Amino acid sequence: MAGVWVLAENRDLTIELLNIGRDLADKVSARLTAFLPGDRDRGQEYIDCGADEVLVLPALNPEQTVDAYIPVIVDEGRREQPDIFLLSGTLRGRELAARIAARLDTGLCSQCTALNIDEKTGLLVMERLIFGGAGIQKVVCQTRPQMATIAPRTFEPARRQNREGKIRELPASPESAVKILERKPKDRAAGSITEAKVIICVGRGIEKQEDLALVNKLAAATGGEIGCTRPIAEELHWMPEDTCIGLSGKQVKPELYIGVGISGQIQHITGIRDAKVICAVNNDDQAPIFDAADYGIVGNLYEVLPELTRQLEKITNK
Amino acid sequence: MLNIVTCFKWVIDEAYIKVGASRELDLEWADYKLSDYDRNAIEEAMRIADIEGGTVTAVTVGSSDATKGIKDALSRGPEKAIFINDPAFTDLEPSQTASLLAEVIASRLQYDLIICGEGSSDLYAQQVGPRLAELLDIPCIAFVSKLDIKERQVIAERKMEDGIEVVTAPLPALVTVLPDINSPRIPGLKDTLGAAKKSVISIGKEELTGMAKPHLETTAIEAATMERHCIKFNPDAEGIKQFVDALLKEGVMG
Amino acid sequence: MATDYAPSMQQAGVGSLHEKKGDVGMDFKLTEEQELIRANMREFARQYVDPIAVEIDENSRYPAEVMAKLAEGDWMGMPYPQEYGGAGVDYVTYACVIEELSRSCAATGFTLSCHTGLASGPIYYFGTETQKQKYLAPLCKGQHIGAFALTEPGAGTDVGAGSTTAVLDGDEYVLNGTKTFTSNGPVADTFVIFAVTDKAAGTKGMSAFIVSKDTPGLKVGEHFMKMGIRASQTSEIILHDCRVPKENLLGKEGQGFRIAMQTLDNGRIGVAAQAVGIAQAALDESISYSKQRIQFGKPISKNQAIQWMLADMATDIAAARFLTYYAAYLKDQGQPYSKEASMAKLFAAEMASRHTSKAVQIHGGYGYVKGQKVERLMRDAKITEIYEGTSEAQRMVIAGSILR
Ligand SMILES: Cc1cc2nc3c(=O)[nH]c(=O)nc-3n(C[C@H](O)[C@H](O)[C@H](O)COP(=O)(O)OP(=O)(O)OC[C@H]3O[C@@H](n4cnc5c(N)ncnc54)[C@H](O)[C@@H]3O)c2cc1C
Ligand SMILES: Cc1cc2nc3c(=O)[nH]c(=O)nc-3n(C[C@H](O)[C@H](O)[C@H](O)COP(=O)(O)OP(=O)(O)OC[C@H]3O[C@@H](n4cnc5c(N)ncnc54)[C@H](O)[C@@H]3O)c2cc1C
Repeated sequence: MAGVWVLAENRDLTIELLNIGRDLADKVSARLTAFLPGDRDRGQEYIDCGADEVLVLPALNPEQTVDAYIPVIVDEGRREQPDIFLLSGTLRGRELAARIAARLDTGLCSQCTALNIDEKTGLLVMERLIFGGAGIQKVVCQTRPQMATIAPRTFEPARRQNREGKIRELPASPESAVKILERKPKDRAAGSITEAKVIICVGRGIEKQEDLALVNKLAAATGGEIGCTRPIAEELHWMPEDTCIGLSGKQVKPELYIGVGISGQIQHITGIRDAKVICAVNNDDQAPIFDAADYGIVGNLYEVLPELTRQLEKITNK
Repeated sequence: MLNIVTCFKWVIDEAYIKVGASRELDLEWADYKLSDYDRNAIEEAMRIADIEGGTVTAVTVGSSDATKGIKDALSRGPEKAIFINDPAFTDLEPSQTASLLAEVIASRLQYDLIICGEGSSDLYAQQVGPRLAELLDIPCIAFVSKLDIKERQVIAERKMEDGIEVVTAPLPALVTVLPDINSPRIPGLKDTLGAAKKSVISIGKEELTGMAKPHLETTAIEAATMERHCIKFNPDAEGIKQFVDALLKEGVMG
Repeated sequence: MATDYAPSMQQAGVGSLHEKKGDVGMDFKLTEEQELIRANMREFARQYVDPIAVEIDENSRYPAEVMAKLAEGDWMGMPYPQEYGGAGVDYVTYACVIEELSRSCAATGFTLSCHTGLASGPIYYFGTETQKQKYLAPLCKGQHIGAFALTEPGAGTDVGAGSTTAVLDGDEYVLNGTKTFTSNGPVADTFVIFAVTDKAAGTKGMSAFIVSKDTPGLKVGEHFMKMGIRASQTSEIILHDCRVPKENLLGKEGQGFRIAMQTLDNGRIGVAAQAVGIAQAALDESISYSKQRIQFGKPISKNQAIQWMLADMATDIAAARFLTYYAAYLKDQGQPYSKEASMAKLFAAEMASRHTSKAVQIHGGYGYVKGQKVERLMRDAKITEIYEGTSEAQRMVIAGSILR
């Protein structure tokens, strides 16, 4: 029986997938099924958020990674033959999706930015970015299930209503060969930049880590959060990875984005495409970021930032 | 002694892509490059081989356009290359690439460790590595930022959204690597010249059981455009004031 | 910057274009190795040279750290055989590399081409096996830096007017005189120095010597402050009873003029490539600036006046590049290339000067300000019309050859 499945590694992401999942399920008149790793108590909430059925994956022992669930999900997939299977595009989600797709021998569209049902064919039309964000590719999948990963916060979370549905427990998973030796959780609450209204984003134009103080002041004046480019997070390690914006980082949708000392390579710009207003401070008037910006200041950030902060403080203090 | 296999892709360099008049992508002038993160994969393979001892084989799937890519890959250190080569092997989807790699690796190579880039810089689907691991039925650790081998166990640090996970798996295993795992070398002159002398085994379609059918069908590719005002201001107090005024007008301040 | 496509990544070398064999076609494609080597040098220059290019120009500083990296990547003995620590590549490849390096920094490009072409060249072509092992090998491996001291205060274009003398005294030649404008002088370990051994014999009385920097009597003068290629180190070499072992005579006594001329033929391919690299950088900068700069409500690149400058630039660069690769190709084929090397150097140098000036024009006032790349390019381009034979000297060579 045709169905739409959703799987995410935590509650918030599942609720987002339930929203788009419900929408698609209604369009193809299918049932919506959500996976629930671990904690059975959440089942009703998922049902209230749109699921017709919740499949509970028994909790794993602590040294196991989520990939232990693969055999159980694949067995269930072979039995139930879902039509559409959406996974949250977290790192674990992306690995899981690719491996499940391989076992089910089906296609997977990675990090979809839009999903629609083609009215004529009933196929799921998936859009994604290619060439570092320079192109948009539209694909359909000829085999079943039609699988896609979706970056967190691409869709709004579902609203809770009173609904009814089934909760079913899946069998326990066999142990995976991959074992966790150690977890080093992040100290900082993740995801704040994806919700920020204002983002000040820093790039390699900053000379030293201490100089982030300048950016902090600007962020304080605008009530914004600080994001960064990939080199700042991954090469220099001046900022946590979860503040990296772009193709391989976060997708953000602030009202205002100000990029400071950022060249504006396509892989970064892709992450700010949906910002309402994009601004840039860069001393190279030919930096590509000016092509992608509404307003730019051509100048040395070390001179521009203090003055900009001063002027903005005057306004916000009023 | 480890047998290390590293997979790479020869891709269109996105820096050369132009947008045509009707929003189509103009690839006519595009040049090719070794996919960015595959450079990290090759570098990591070389690093591990240096420490543990062993051989590194680089494998790619492509059409004869990729011969330059093979030399590029070999100039970064691997001993030999396997070129799964057919005119039909262009624009493959990840499942097809993975199945070709799996067949060749399973039937022709000894392997303890397979290293792939986390994703290719053209499609960035991030699927080939994990799919390949499944087809070979070996453990998979994706998004690795630090890699060690100890007593035939992979010890890997992977960066997840909620923190770092240190994981282990027995060899043979497959890992996909993040760009911060190392800084890929820039091949020197002799490295490039030496690459031409290394052995390349070419495997055509007729030597394989057949290519997996595609699952996906691309219905359109268009340019991702962004319409922005592109107004620039001077860095003096007056210019900055105009800038702030513009933000106020947009209603995004305060 | 990824936005503007620079044609030099894709255009190709000139193939078999010479007049003799009508049956040979033309192959304008670089080999895959040549393309990869070019791309690697581009990346090298982007990573190690671009970030310091402004600073080394401003401070007239020798980029020792880059030279060390070049040595690491085997870029210091490009055309010489592997047995001497070289890489054994052809001259077309060599030209591509000098061009790409010069596109980021002409001074660094010249430091390398002076080391490779002017200093190592004569030792390779005229040295004995012992001399090659002793002097060429460390040069090729980048353990040593080389310099070429021909010019004297009183002998520039007129090389034969040199007054530095070398007199055999027992097992040593005693050198006296002053050399000027010696590039790499302040940093060199090994010098090729020209001196007169037989005054009466005119140009046939000149000889060449390999001289180590620590030879008593050799003094390196102050580094000159120059208009362009400021990071290239230039000085006088003062020779005062400088005693050079007899076995350091390069070639035979009296062969000096020939050695100098042949070395310069060779070196001109390097200067031509350097000029092409400079002009290409000027075009890169001009294309992106003209697309960004808005005047009268539109990018200045929409004006035909600007477009024509860009079109002329691109055309001349292509022509100069083909001439350069063609001269290199002839050399690779073992054919005479002296005239073609002069043509390439003459044309490339003059077009680089002309077009870097146009590039400043396209940048308007902003192009005249320090720190803008086109300003440096314009200063750097000028020297290519002067050293390794002025443009006038090149015309003399070409005219001499076609009037023969
Ligand atoms: C597959 C793939 C995925 C990627 N994903 C991402 C991603 O998700 N996010 C991301 O950001 N990148 C990503 N990248 C990397 C991306 O291509 C760029 O390398 C990166 O965005 C550049 O970062 P940057 O702008 O900070 O640095 P740079 O490109 O070095 O730019 C620094 C800028 O600062 C300016 N500057 C310097 N000094 C000053 C000063 N004093 N005042 C003002 N301006 C100054 C310079 O003019 C320059 O424009 C990815 C790359 C690949 C291949
Ligand atoms: C930065 C720099 C680096 C250098 N590096 C080196 C080096 O490493 N080794 C080295 O040996 N030399 C080097 N030189 C010297 C260079 O090769 C000479 O400067 C050049 O050959 C010109 O000589 P000159 O300066 O004495 O000028 P002159 O010979 O005095 O020429 C002055 C002008 O008269 C013209 N002229 C001269 N004779 C004629 C003629 N017969 N017909 C028509 N016009 C004529 C010239 O073309 C020129 O325009 C370098 C010079 C500079 C500036």
